[in-house]
Amino acid sequence: MGKKKVTPFVAVSFVILTLLTILFVFPFYWIITGAFKSLSAAVAVPPQWFPAEPTLENFVTLFKNPAARWMFNSIFIAGVTMLAVCVTASLAGYVLAKKRFYGQKILFSIFIFAMALPKQVITVPLVNMISKLGIHNTLAAVILPLIGWPFGIFLMKQFSENIPGELLESAKIDGCNEWKTFWSIAFPIVKPGFAALAIFTFINTWNDYFMQLVMLASRENLTISLGVATLQAEFSTNYGLIMAGAFLAAIPIVTVFLAFQKSFTQGITMGAVKG
Amino acid sequence: MKKSKVLSTILAGAMIGSMLVPAASVSAAETTEITWWAFPTFAQDSVDAEPGAYEKTIIEAFEAANPDIKVNLETIDFTSGPEKITAAIEGGTICDVLFDAPGRIISYGKNGKLADLSDMFTDEFVKDVNNDMLLQSCKAGDTAYMYPLSSAPFYMAFNKEMVEDAGVADLIKDGWTTDDFTTVAKALQEKGYMPGSVFCSGQGGDQGTRAFVANLFDSSITDDAVTEYTINDEGGVKALDYIKTAVDEGYLLNGSAYAGGDDIKNFATKQTAFTLLWGPGTQNSNQTLLDDNKIETIEVPMPSADGVPELEYLVNGFCIFDNGDDAKIEASKKFLQFLCDDAEWGPKNVVRTGCFPVRTSFGDLYEGDERMNTIASWTKYYSPYYNTIDGFAEMRTYWFPMLQAVMNGDKDAQTAADEFVESSNASIKNAQ
Amino acid sequence: MKASNKIRMRETIVSYLFLAPALFFFIVFVLFPMGLGIFTSLFKYTMKEFTFIGLNNYITMFKDPVFQKSFINTLILVVGSVPIVVIFALFVSSQTYERSAFTRSFFRCVFFLPVVTGTVAVTVVWKWIYDPLSGILNFVLKNGGIIDRNIMWLGDKKYALLAILIILLTTSVGQPIILYIAAMGNIDKSLVEAARVDGATEFQVFWKIKWPSLLPTTLYIVVITTINSFQCFALIQLLTSGGPNYSTTTIMYYLYEKAFKLSDYGYANAMGVFLAVVIGLISFAQFKFLGGDDVEY
Repeated sequence: MGKKKVTPFVAVSFVILTLLTILFVFPFYWIITGAFKSLSAAVAVPPQWFPAEPTLENFVTLFKNPAARWMFNSIFIAGVTMLAVCVTASLAGYVLAKKRFYGQKILFSIFIFAMALPKQVITVPLVNMISKLGIHNTLAAVILPLIGWPFGIFLMKQFSENIPGELLESAKIDGCNEWKTFWSIAFPIVKPGFAALAIFTFINTWNDYFMQLVMLASRENLTISLGVATLQAEFSTNYGLIMAGAFLAAIPIVTVFLAFQKSFTQGITMGAVKG
Repeated sequence: MKKSKVLSTILAGAMIGSMLVPAASVSAAETTEITWWAFPTFAQDSVDAEPGAYEKTIIEAFEAANPDIKVNLETIDFTSGPEKITAAIEGGTICDVLFDAPGRIISYGKNGKLADLSDMFTDEFVKDVNNDMLLQSCKAGDTAYMYPLSSAPFYMAFNKEMVEDAGVADLIKDGWTTDDFTTVAKALQEKGYMPGSVFCSGQGGDQGTRAFVANLFDSSITDDAVTEYTINDEGGVKALDYIKTAVDEGYLLNGSAYAGGDDIKNFATKQTAFTLLWGPGTQNSNQTLLDDNKIETIEVPMPSADGVPELEYLVNGFCIFDNGDDAKIEASKKFLQFLCDDAEWGPKNVVRTGCFPVRTSFGDLYEGDERMNTIASWTKYYSPYYNTIDGFAEMRTYWFPMLQAVMNGDKDAQTAADEFVESSNASIKNAQ
Repeated sequence: MKASNKIRMRETIVSYLFLAPALFFFIVFVLFPMGLGIFTSLFKYTMKEFTFIGLNNYITMFKDPVFQKSFINTLILVVGSVPIVVIFALFVSSQTYERSAFTRSFFRCVFFLPVVTGTVAVTVVWKWIYDPLSGILNFVLKNGGIIDRNIMWLGDKKYALLAILIILLTTSVGQPIILYIAAMGNIDKSLVEAARVDGATEFQVFWKIKWPSLLPTTLYIVVITTINSFQCFALIQLLTSGGPNYSTTTIMYYLYEKAFKLSDYGYANAMGVFLAVVIGLISFAQFKFLGGDDVEY
């Protein structure tokens, strides 16, 4: 026996953990391998655990549908939202954490209250409103409402609490104006939070299916998520093709996540409980 | 000051960028630009061709003939398309021209969203069509909202190889009865085939299942005058009971997990032996898939108790949304006439829908095609057209849940049918 | 006095300048639609009419059997997912947080994978897995001798909601696991060691020492999982359209159907308001019940 006893409890939990890992990884495996199966291979019984004759035809079909355009739209929406949220939220979070001003408490409470409500309950009036603005079925219709969502403000406030007050004071004494104080003193300190928020927003925006669904209509303007949903409607059980779409939709985000796992984890953790 | 500059630059940049992207094309001064939304009704050259490829060739031809009009194409699908249309109507971003069928079109018309097309129903056109029922399906009261192109019955299709293997191919023919159908389904089951499903997920294709239910024991969805729903009569309830029994005994598949499109794909990939959702257009658009799987089809009307089926039918046509721009409406009308009346493209488009022309002057487009001639002869089975009834869209939301309730044993057939009829009749009043 | 007021005033102006961009988007695209939603829920608001009808939408809603059904289904998803997510996440993180950084990172990725794969991609692959005829689940169970006839996972009311729940769970545990692993890392190790030396069982260690310090995290997880489950939509729309016989219709899906299939916007907004109130109340109750003082929001 090693230094750790193998109790039945440990053994059982190892088995459970393994099973769960399979449950969680298998769908992803099935997407990747399915993407390279032809239509008849995909519906074959018994199923092919690994594509017997891997084919790229699904991807060819996919790019005949404007999958490239869908990817661009997704990246554009997620990218612009990310930038805008980071800017607005880091400014707002900074003053909420470090300034004392009239209306601060009530404002923060409103942000918190709004954050607890599901975004989806306001989408119908949002669609009505967006349409009156004449921007329904444009990428802006997805981006603008997501910028308004206060989670980023909350997260950046949490990060900004860590800025030592003395530093800000001494900057002031040195004659820095408010903007300079923020930009050269406060911002460098909250940078990790900034990165976390950026990645968090990017992933969430990419996956915000409902907002995209109600705001975008024409084929050219779809995102990759919507595109995959559309493919499922058009090609129904042509699973190989649909998996190829799912593959495209998932890969960028999985890559981003793996690359920035640390920042991302930090963002989630900071957003939850004050450290 | 610097801060606000930076900020406003970023934000303005982001906003302008995001707004410009979709509105890429800037129209020249003299051209009228119209947008056409198309469900996948035209067959493409192959099954995995990009949706809309054929439509683009039409547009090219039209724009060559009408250089002052530019047509933008958007393709939509049957599953999420209807919701997209609703959202776009509300959003004020609806297209000018929509290629669809009366069910939805007439309800948009009744809601005041469409341009009046009555002036397109000229004496010449009415005379040429020469079919009052069909013309009426394009109208709400006296106002025409849809300019029809083609029409065809819905029916069912069998996998020839499978039914021959089961030794029941000769039973499947025009004039067959419910008993024949039972024999066929059971024989298929015995041979180890999955006969077919009464699909009822999503919404598309529901007319196929309605026709199946209505015919099994000679009921009908509505009364002849199309004023109320009548599927809860003896025959309708008997049909639902029949389906429930068949599902329990395994010679019909409970299709609660399958949408209409899934059902067709199941059929076209040899998963099932028949589908309740077929038409000449369906055959065309799935031909490549059928060939790939080496499937030959037997096309046949729905089985009925007395051997005389009542078939639902499709009318393909176009409507024009009234976006408040007369120039666009006029341009759209021109486009519709090109699509439906042009000597070259009219017939060509009809053939792409796999249906029969509404204009008799187009003559027999399928000369010598025995299959199409047979199908043409089924037009005598057309049932009263109820897709333009008030509240049609709402009724459709009750149909599949009713089938699901019966097949899953949630409700007995009588209760389910009664509740369906009650809600659907209420929907007629709601929509008025 | 006066001077400090003046300073505060100055701070206020500066602060609102910093806040301006965020406030602009928040007011225009969050607060205003909220108000609009509440306002239009009092109207019969369809494609062709806009008439004030008071609380009629709400009255219709409470009498609507489909709404009642969808409310119950939504509650089942919430009640089914919250405890499982908490237990599941606790289990996985307690098994992994003491391991090497690599193992921690590995399991974090594994359980976060469905989240980053994206709702749509995850949903469509599960549709295939569940497919009655060509799905792998039926194949495996049949070959394993567990079932003898293909089961229609999404078409049979006995299984449909459960099938949805399983997918919902796989996309819901990623974040809680990350949170728990972090929270467990913050637990004072000397306390744990001391207890072990004193001969406490693993269970006692967990219950007496770890659990109290995990409470705030647990509360947060309960709240976000509740909110998340209440919003379950994409799974329903892409897999079952609410069927069979409304057995998987959730409030969000019904709301969508009413709004965008039947353009009954007033009614849909009434459901939205109702859903918001319910979620607000439940979040509030969870705070009270689980003693949210330790958590600073």
